[in-house]
Amino acid sequence: MDVITNIAQGFIGWFTTGGETFTGWVTGIIPQVVCLMTFMNSIVKLVGEEKVESGAKKMTKNAILRYSLFPMMADMFLANPMAYTFGRFIDEKYKPAFYDACVSFCHPITGLFPHANAGELFVYMGIAQGLQKAGYELGGLAVRYFIVGLIVITIRGLVTERIYFHLAGIKK
Amino acid sequence: MAYRNIKITKGSAGFGGPLIIEPTETRNKVLCVTGQTISPVAKKIAEMTGCELVDGFKTTVPDDQVAVAVVNCGGTARCGVYPRKHIMTVNVEPVGAVGPLAQYITEDIYVSDVSEKNLSYTDETNASAAKSAAEELEAADAAGDNGPKTKDQAKADVAAAQEGQKQNLVTRIGVGVGHVVNKFFAAGRDSIDMVIRNILPFMAFTSTLLGIISASGLGNVIANTISPFCSTLPGMIFISFICGLPFLSPILGPGAVIAQVVGTLLGAEFAKGNIPAQYALPALFAIDAQVGCDFIPVGLSLGEAEPDTIEMGVPAVLYSRVITGPLAVVIAYFFSIGMY
Repeated sequence: MDVITNIAQGFIGWFTTGGETFTGWVTGIIPQVVCLMTFMNSIVKLVGEEKVESGAKKMTKNAILRYSLFPMMADMFLANPMAYTFGRFIDEKYKPAFYDACVSFCHPITGLFPHANAGELFVYMGIAQGLQKAGYELGGLAVRYFIVGLIVITIRGLVTERIYFHLAGIKK
Repeated sequence: MAYRNIKITKGSAGFGGPLIIEPTETRNKVLCVTGQTISPVAKKIAEMTGCELVDGFKTTVPDDQVAVAVVNCGGTARCGVYPRKHIMTVNVEPVGAVGPLAQYITEDIYVSDVSEKNLSYTDETNASAAKSAAEELEAADAAGDNGPKTKDQAKADVAAAQEGQKQNLVTRIGVGVGHVVNKFFAAGRDSIDMVIRNILPFMAFTSTLLGIISASGLGNVIANTISPFCSTLPGMIFISFICGLPFLSPILGPGAVIAQVVGTLLGAEFAKGNIPAQYALPALFAIDAQVGCDFIPVGLSLGEAEPDTIEMGVPAVLYSRVITGPLAVVIAYFFSIGMY
């Protein structure tokens, strides 16, 4: 009997640990994320997609802006996965590179703007809440993730553009 | 070529349906968007209906030619993208109306947890019966629409009547505030919706997993094998290289589930101090070299790319990751200097 009780207790114990983690996340992460998300969602709704569109279109001609600010705006205002619909403003030959830049920014953006990809928060949050537990401030990490993200997607966009041109036999 | 109608029902853990697929001369393609391999379900559907099978990862077809789309979506994007475009969608995964596009996933256009045994022919009578049922539904919908429509009309009438009079300042401020408050309220509802549909379920699943891992002692094994890797620059470059391999990246991608679980596992190691904090930034890029690789054709078609573009665009993105994945880690490494 004791053996069975011990086994049962051990078994339940596994989930106690899980439950503690869960409570920690719910109280530690969700309240802030909800408020931040509500704020950003309101801004997006108040500004409206049309205005962003007309502003963003101007950026597509410049190679650097096309793979940095333009995807950032797309992610920020339309969020994953609708952000990729901004591809329609871009010349056909640049679309794969734009997609690559846009999708690669949908995690770096979550450190500062979780609303942009709230379904996949834990790429950033997983590591961030570990650091928080160890007593570090997260502001620096979120900002750097964002900035490095922008640099990476610019480079990635340019590289993918080259590779695509090569594969499709397009001369620049 | 004669097409046959088939009926697709949901699997035991599924949602939605049954769908009646009725291919016509123009709408005669089965679009399969299931990663590197063609799903047997898509194959069977194409076989049974006589439709042409199209691999969505290699090319794409105009939306109005697609009789049915077959996806294997874990619940973020693909399962909603096609319903949103009013394309009948079959998901081989047991996923209900979830994700950012959940509102478009309805029982009349979406069915999930489908395997080959859920497919059957409809004979003519059944099909027409289903059709008339569908028509009835449509009629009901139309009737349902009528209610709000008249309401809208009433509103429009009121608005038109009010337009005649010049609104005074107080009214205008009132209307303005109401407008803003409504937007805020809608934003709040979206956020809570997102938390319930996506964030909480993920937390539940991951915390259970983490609990089991740490309580069973597996955690120590992971700590001893992965931590040393993530504590050096070459180790992380290696991880990003693996994640970015063109034949692995589309498999690792879906829903970013793997990246999220790995992120959380690494987070636990950061918390214990097994990995130094300054490696957090490069680690974020190391585990994410595959981001979106499962979604390239769908993402491109959302951007209204031509089939030719998708055909060459998919490998272009995949090859690019082999270079830019490790490069991102190096850049992040230098940017993390002086952070902690």
